[in-house]
Formats: sequence, structure tokens, C-alpha cells
Amino acid sequence: MRLISSSLQENEASLREQLANCSDLVIRSFTLKDESLLLLVYLDGMTKLQSVEDNLLKPLIFSGLPHGIARIQTLTEMIKHEWLPLSNVKTDESLEDLIQHILQGNLAILVDGEASAIIAGVQEFEKRGIEEPKKESTLRGAKEGFVENLRTNTSLIRRRIIHPQLKMESYTIGKYTQTGVVLAYMQGIADEKVLADVRGKLDEIDVDGVIESSYLEEWLENTSFSMFPQIMNTERPDIVAASLLEGKIALITNGTPFVLILPITFWSGLQSADDYFERFVFVVCMRAIRYLMAFIAFSLPAIYVALSTFHSEMVPVNLMLGIATARESAPFPTVIEMLLMMVIFDGLQEAGVHLPNQLGPIISIIGALIIGQAAVEAGIISTPIIIVISLTGVAAYTIPKYSATLPFRMIRYILLLISSLLGFVGFTFGIIFLLINLVMLESFGTPYMSPVAPFDGTRIKDMIIRYPFWMKNGRNKKVRS
Amino acid sequence: MLRFMALAFFSLIMILFFSGCTDFDEPNQLAFVLGTAIDRADNGEMEISHQVVITSQAPSKGGSFGGSNHFIILSAKGKDIYEAQQKIQRETSRRLMMNHRILIAISEEYFNQNDVRKIFDKLGRDPANNLRDIIVLIKGASAKQFLKMKHPMEPLSSIGEDKKMQTNAIRNFSSRTLIIETLSEGTRSMLPVIQIKPSKKGSNLMSTNTIVSKYAVLDKQLKVKGIVDDVEGAKVGWMSGNETVQGITIPWKDGIGYLSFRLNHLKRRIHAVRVEESKQIIMSVKAQAYLLENTTQLNLSEVDNMIVIQNYMNKQLEKEMQQTVDKVQNWGADVFGIGEYLHRKYPYWWKSKKEDWDQHFKEMDVKVQVNIELKSIGMIGKL
Repeated sequence: MRLISSSLQENEASLREQLANCSDLVIRSFTLKDESLLLLVYLDGMTKLQSVEDNLLKPLIFSGLPHGIARIQTLTEMIKHEWLPLSNVKTDESLEDLIQHILQGNLAILVDGEASAIIAGVQEFEKRGIEEPKKESTLRGAKEGFVENLRTNTSLIRRRIIHPQLKMESYTIGKYTQTGVVLAYMQGIADEKVLADVRGKLDEIDVDGVIESSYLEEWLENTSFSMFPQIMNTERPDIVAASLLEGKIALITNGTPFVLILPITFWSGLQSADDYFERFVFVVCMRAIRYLMAFIAFSLPAIYVALSTFHSEMVPVNLMLGIATARESAPFPTVIEMLLMMVIFDGLQEAGVHLPNQLGPIISIIGALIIGQAAVEAGIISTPIIIVISLTGVAAYTIPKYSATLPFRMIRYILLLISSLLGFVGFTFGIIFLLINLVMLESFGTPYMSPVAPFDGTRIKDMIIRYPFWMKNGRNKKVRS
Repeated sequence: MLRFMALAFFSLIMILFFSGCTDFDEPNQLAFVLGTAIDRADNGEMEISHQVVITSQAPSKGGSFGGSNHFIILSAKGKDIYEAQQKIQRETSRRLMMNHRILIAISEEYFNQNDVRKIFDKLGRDPANNLRDIIVLIKGASAKQFLKMKHPMEPLSSIGEDKKMQTNAIRNFSSRTLIIETLSEGTRSMLPVIQIKPSKKGSNLMSTNTIVSKYAVLDKQLKVKGIVDDVEGAKVGWMSGNETVQGITIPWKDGIGYLSFRLNHLKRRIHAVRVEESKQIIMSVKAQAYLLENTTQLNLSEVDNMIVIQNYMNKQLEKEMQQTVDKVQNWGADVFGIGEYLHRKYPYWWKSKKEDWDQHFKEMDVKVQVNIELKSIGMIGKL
């Protein structure tokens, strides 16, 4: 560790050497009335210059070092006597730390003949305002969403839980990005074992940079090769606050509005914030539809293929005749047709995500007119397939969390392939395999399928049926069942 | 975990390879058989005719199945059902799909001259049959003729017949019930009969002029013992525990006016006391009646008249039903399931009687008791 030398020239030289070719670096020297030399170092665009000028430069330049009861000799003394009218001021002796602070947007003041520097926290940079989260909008509830700034985000949570047990531990991760990460939890409610696990993993992370919270997600997950996410992300501070009260742990990463929540279960992805804001009777009905749709989202193509090519006796006569008539001129087997349409549908979806907003309608025109209508009229794709694919697509969007739909979109293909070869035998085989996988999976010690398997009578009150809040028998002290 | 998953995936692929990927049938490789006719052919052979829907003539874009010309009849002769069916299959481009069959029509001629129980062996043994199809007896023409007929409303004659039965709440005539009844000792079967009248212009359009519905009463060997018309048949159905009567019309005492009722909550109970000595069986039937039409002079807003009507209806119906029971009893075919009741109530007595139950049934003294409750007289008392 290099220390700051007492010679101002030496310090300036080493700073210029370390921060060479940084065009946004500003180094300004002053000579005060009493001829002491002063050096101001900061990064242009990241510092609130106005407050520095008003509170530091003006008094120093115009009146020099203050004379009080006793003459103040050093800048360190100045701080000790709280002469600097800035709230966040400290001194530092290490050169590395000094550079680090400068890069973070703080102002450094060096004085000739002193082996320490004053660091003034006067960061200020352009940032986005708090807006309604676009991906997770609800009909009722707060319209605030997280932003990219870490401190804004922690404040959004603090404002919701005004209690000293809300703890926020700070971490800096990423060799080059030095990204600030805050581990938030409710002390006494969150499971200490999970906390220790997460802390240990956060300390172990060795990356060059953390650009988005997904970088952390992959480092933290226990079963990396599973299709199912073991950590949830959200843009909504109210969801984070509610999760913290349930004993979950939140990870807020600087530079992204997506806050990680862990541990989660399979059902977390199927629950929406609106479930807790609307009347519970309605919510019970909506959840039933949502669960049904979630089942459709991964199984309908497989069921259709199994029914129409293996078990046509299970389909009512008139429906089967309808399907048979529609399929007469189809050139491909049902499976191939279905696969074709699924690939096209997923392709359209992918294109829609990447397309600029102005070009969005083009995709829907191509999708609806060319693929939907023309393909059917040309007899290449049969109508029931289009219906099945659209229904499957719509069903996937009833799942509130985008990241929770992704495994369903993959399982769809696997189930389709098995069912097309073995019929319902294959379908059942696939479902059993899927269930085995899900039951074995854990998210930070919480079984993924809980509270269903293993069964937990208390927590199941918030699964299929959302009981009214007063019936839920108090708080879930522990996430672990 | 990774190794386990790799192994699992590998074995999955292997299963798929070894199972052979070709055992599925696309809908356009199937011929959907909706109706089957069984007729008698020469040399003791039988003729099987399949009514097959033509799905390839897509009527409209993406449209559903419909139209009147969308079926063909495929037929072949053979020693048994399977042989004839194989002959048809060899000549057909698509695999015959029997699971969607709605109806099996058997001609009266075949019924009379062959042992029909042999047909049901194939129906019961072959798992490819769904057993939901109804079995009808065709009178007056060959069963094949019936399949060829056009229904004015429905695309196929078999669909029309099936829907007619469903609409009129005529149930329990599926091949499944028939097979169960054949196997049980104490009950005989009844079959719906379609009588086809020869039409003058040679048109084969089904209508009320060309088609008459009746019921055939069968004995243990599935031989036709007698035929009752649809009104009587519905009453037999009621007395055998199926809700088939939907309405009745009875003449009033003066012979001029008539009373019509809608019936529901049809119930029947068999009751026997000391059957060893008296041989007396009481068949009590119950229902709730709603008056729908009244062409008599009675003013029904008077309660006394209601009671009079109710009593009269009970008496009248009792008379009619007793006649029906006597008629069926004469044929010696216990379609009511009285034998099943006695089997359960007097198992030891039954043991000695079950061998020639048809004969013993003739000797039983079956009394009908009708107990109908008049629930409503409608909205007006008297016009």
C-alpha cells in the first residue's frame, strides 16, 4: 500500500501517473493567502461543483485558513474542528484509496506538507427518475419502481420498512467495476443459515465486473444446470419489502433496477403483486386460471399431438372429425407441423423483444397475416395447430414473472418430442421426470416445491388459495419449512 | 447430478429409438367408422358394412365436418366379423378406426337366423371397441340399407339416430349394457328397432314417413320374442328402471277430451313378499306429473278436480301398464330385471329357478301399482 507523501509535487505526479489518459480528470492547484499550496482533484461530471465552490473554495480563497481561538495548522485539524461545511468529509492516507474515491466521484483536497488528503463526498451525476416499472405493472399498489442508483433503491425499501431490524450489509464486487451490492434482510426473521451461505458466496465471487444482477444470480445459485431459476428478480420495491417481511433476503446491485430475492419456490413465479392487492375471493379464482394456464403453457402442444396421433379414440367424435378434416391436406406429420409453428412463434417472440418500438407492429402483421392466415390458406399448416400454438403462447403470458416462463418454454419442446414418440405414455414419463427434478431442487435450503412437497399446512395458505391476511396465522418466521 | 442427467437423457433417447417411432397414426391415415351394419349373406356368412366419413373432401377452408355426401359404405362378406373387416381393410387406403363408432345396426333377418351372441364376443373381447355405440335392430330392410339412408338434418343416419335417442332420453342401449345384460342371469334385453317402410318414390331420405321406432324384446338366446311400439316400449323402459317416458296422453272418461302430462322423477320399485308360495311381485312406479294440455271440460283450478284427475290418471296408467307387463310376460322375457331382484332377495330360491327363468317368469303374478303425483296444472285453470 502506497501512502500519500507530504510533498505536493510528488503526490500530483503520482496521481497523474495513475490516472494518465483520463481526460475527465481535473487537477487544480491554489495558493492561499498564507501561501499554503492546495490541490483539488476530482472527475468532471461526477461532482457537485456548486457545493464545493460555495462551501470550500470561497472561504479558503477569501479568508484563508480560519483563525479561531487557536490557529489551525493542518487540514486534518480543520475537519476535526468541523470547519468544513460539508456533511460527508473524512481524511485518508492511502494513495490507492484516494484514487478509488476520486473515481467514485468524490473530491480530494491535498495540502502541501501534509501526508493525508481530505475526501469530500460530493458525488452527483445524472440519473433516471423513479418511474412505474413497465414489466411488472399492477392495477393497484405503488407505482414506484427501482432505478439504477443503489442508494435510491435502498431508500425505496427503507421507506417501506421503518424498523431497525432491517439490515443492509454492503459489499463491493467486481475487480474493475467495483459494483456496490447491498444485502438486505430482516434480522430475526431471515434464516441465519441462508444469510451465512449468501455472505460466504458473496465474498467468494471473483469476477471482473458485475454489469447486471444476473451476474450475481449465476454465482449464487446452487444448481446451475437446472432449467428453473432459484432466485427471483423484481423491479418493485413493494415486492421486495413484502419478501423481506416473509424472511427472504434481497440483493440490491448498483447499476440495475432488478433486485434479487432469495430463496424462492416454484410458486413464487406464479404469484403476482396484484394477488395481495385485490379481494382474496377474486384472487383465488384468478390463481386457479393462472395455474391452469401455466399447465397449458408447457403441455398443450404435447397433449394435442398425443391425442390426435396416438389416442384419437379419446377425442369426442365431432372434434376428431373436425381435426381430421382440417388436417387432410397438411403435408407434414402433426409433430413436424407443431415444431415448425413453435419455432416460428418463439422466433417471432424473440424478434419482438429486440425490435425497436417503432417497428413492433411489423412483427404482429407478419405473424398474424403471413404465418397465421397465409399458411393455413395454403394448406401448409392446419388450423387446430395455430389455435394450439396461440393458446400456448397466450397461456405463457399469464405467468407474472418473465423469468418463470422461460423453463416452461423449454419444457414445451421436450414434452412434445417425447409425446410424439410415445403418446401419453411419453407425456406421463416426461411429467414424472419433471416432477422428480422439481422435488429434488432446492433454493438455498428451501425445497423448490414446498409448501406442496414437503407439505406445510401453514404456508400452503398462500399458494393456491390466498387466505385473507387475518387468517394466515401470523408471520412465517422462517422460510425454511 | 450432471452425470445422472446425462445418463437419463441418453437412456431416454435409447427408449425412443428402440420403441420404433412409427406407431402413430396421423388423422389423415385413418378412416373413421361411424356406423356398422351386420347383414346375413349366403352360405351362412355375414356381410359387414362400414359407414365411413370422408374427411378428405374439405368442405370449407379449415372448416368442420358437414354436408350430406360425406360418407361412403364399405362392405365385405366373411365368416366372422374379423374376417369381413380384414377384407374391407385390405381394399381401403386408410386404417379403419372403430373407436368412434356410434351405432351398430343388425338386420332382423340376421337376428332370426343366426346366434347373435357370437357377434358380441368380438365386441366384448376386442379392446379396440369403445362399447359406447348403440345397437339397433333394423326391420323391413337390410341394415346396410339403413346406413345408406340420408338424414335430413344430420350428416349421417347413424349420427341422426344417436342424437334422436339422446334427445328423447332413451339411454341404456349401448353395446356395453347389452353385453352386461347378456351375461347376467336374471334380466333380459330390449333393443331399439328401426322399421323402414318402403318409400314410393324410391328416395332414401329418412323422415317420419319412412322410419318408425319400436322396441324388440329378446330372450336369453337373444332371439326376438316380440316387438312393442315406442309408447309401450317407453313404459317398459320405465318399469325396467330407466327414465324413458317423457310424457303421456290419456283419454278422459267421456271419451271426448284428453289430458297430457309431462312426467319426471320416474322411479320404480320391485317388491315381493313370500315369493315361494304366492309368486306375487308388486311393481310400483312413481313419478311427478305436470299437466301440459287439457281438452276436457274440467276446471282444474278446483282442488277436487285435481285429485280426481290424479286418481284417474293413476288408474288409467295402471291399466295400460298392466297390459304391457302381461304382454311381455307372455313372451317369457324378463326385461324388467325382476329375476335380478329375486336373485338378491331370495338367493336360495333363485338357485333352483335360474336355469329356466323364462318359463318361471311366465308363471309369476306381476301386479303394477302406479303412484303419480300431480305437481302442477299449468298457468290457467280452464279456458
